[in-house]
Amino acid sequence: MDQAHVELKNISKAVFRKVNNARVKTQILSSLDLKVQRGELVTIMGASGSGKTTLLRLINRLLEADSGAIMLKGRDIRDYNPLELRKKVGMVFQLPVVFKGSALENIAFGMKLWGDNIDVEALARSCGIPENLLDADASQLSVGEKQRACIARALANQPEVLLLDEPTSSLDAKSAEKIEELLLNLRRERNLTVLWVTHEKEQAERIGGRRLILREGRLEEEHA
Amino acid sequence: MPEVLALALTVLLVVLTAVYARRFGIGKEISIAGTRALVQILILASLILVLFKLPLYWSFIVLLAMAAIAGHTTYSRSGKLEKGLSLAIVSIVAASLLLLIPFFLLGIFPLEARYVIPTGSILIGNAMNVSSLAIDRYRGEIKNRRAEVEAYLALGAPPKLAASACLKQGILSALIPSIDNMKNLGLVWIPGVMTGMLLGGADPVEAASIQIAIFTSIFAAGMIASSLLLHYSTDSFFTEAAQLREELD
Repeated sequence: MDQAHVELKNISKAVFRKVNNARVKTQILSSLDLKVQRGELVTIMGASGSGKTTLLRLINRLLEADSGAIMLKGRDIRDYNPLELRKKVGMVFQLPVVFKGSALENIAFGMKLWGDNIDVEALARSCGIPENLLDADASQLSVGEKQRACIARALANQPEVLLLDEPTSSLDAKSAEKIEELLLNLRRERNLTVLWVTHEKEQAERIGGRRLILREGRLEEEHA
Repeated sequence: MPEVLALALTVLLVVLTAVYARRFGIGKEISIAGTRALVQILILASLILVLFKLPLYWSFIVLLAMAAIAGHTTYSRSGKLEKGLSLAIVSIVAASLLLLIPFFLLGIFPLEARYVIPTGSILIGNAMNVSSLAIDRYRGEIKNRRAEVEAYLALGAPPKLAASACLKQGILSALIPSIDNMKNLGLVWIPGVMTGMLLGGADPVEAASIQIAIFTSIFAAGMIASSLLLHYSTDSFFTEAAQLREELD
């Protein structure tokens, strides 16, 4: 009944960072706990290097936690096939990375990979990508257009959870607000569970949802 | 014969004098490489003399030893990837054997040590060069394109698909010198086998025919060995949970 959609239990993670050409082990997350309900929007703030990106990468298993467990719908993510887990838990990165080919081919990537049948053009429209750009070489798009294509590409996998790693940080203020609005609309339409990392307090306030701060390896609730 | 050795040593001495005079700082390296080359090639010549008198399977044992050394050289270029040594050796042996056998099956060369060893060693040497370049570039591509590879993985793509653009680039880059050599064959240079045959008094057309057969075979051996190595080494860059290994950086 009270089962969280995503739950992090006692997660710890250390990473290696290069300092003066030496690899130094740095503890990023320490015994971190988090429960996110289905359809909930959670924003995660924190200073640079506090582990926000690492936290998201653990949830879709691009990284492995050193200890603790991450549960999706009550099941340890290590019990899922990692590729199928990533279909369910989509991610949009800070810098948009487009693949070789047209915008449409980029968006349809997951559909071909998984053999799904979705209306890619309608999806592109809902992500604000004009029809005349669909056949354009994806590498020629503006940063904002590329990010929209990356959002559409992630959504084409029909994920239940969307991890957003500062998806507007490389955009100008006007484009950033448009992407914010787009993401919030898509979340409502698709009842997505969203974990949104941002370093801007103003953005977190605009987005709404539950606000958390990552400090010294743990999450704390931020109260208005 | 003594004149030939004297010429080789004189050229080496001229190079060393120039290098020391201009203080290039590579004199020691050239001295060691030159001495090694001289000693190794003389040992090889003596070994071949002995091999000519031994049963043929000894020639294949020597070629296997060469392939093992070649595999180790390629392995060290791979950043000592897990299973990299055995993969490199198997790729080089498989590709070289595949291209060596037709020369004897078609009767181009008699099945004798004096033909098996030089032809095999040319194939092994080139397979090693191309594989070393390819694996080094492949590793570099994966490291530099980590964001792209992880973007694929984040969509649920399997590692082989996520790294496919890097693999293609690795093989293409490694083949560029061979492609350029092939394009300029006969225009800028006359390759070793043809030179040797011409110096030995062979008919130029026959020498050219054999050279082109050898040339296309070494190209194919390099391409096959590097493709096998890169294809089967892809998993070593990833964990069992399809994560790009952190220690690549």
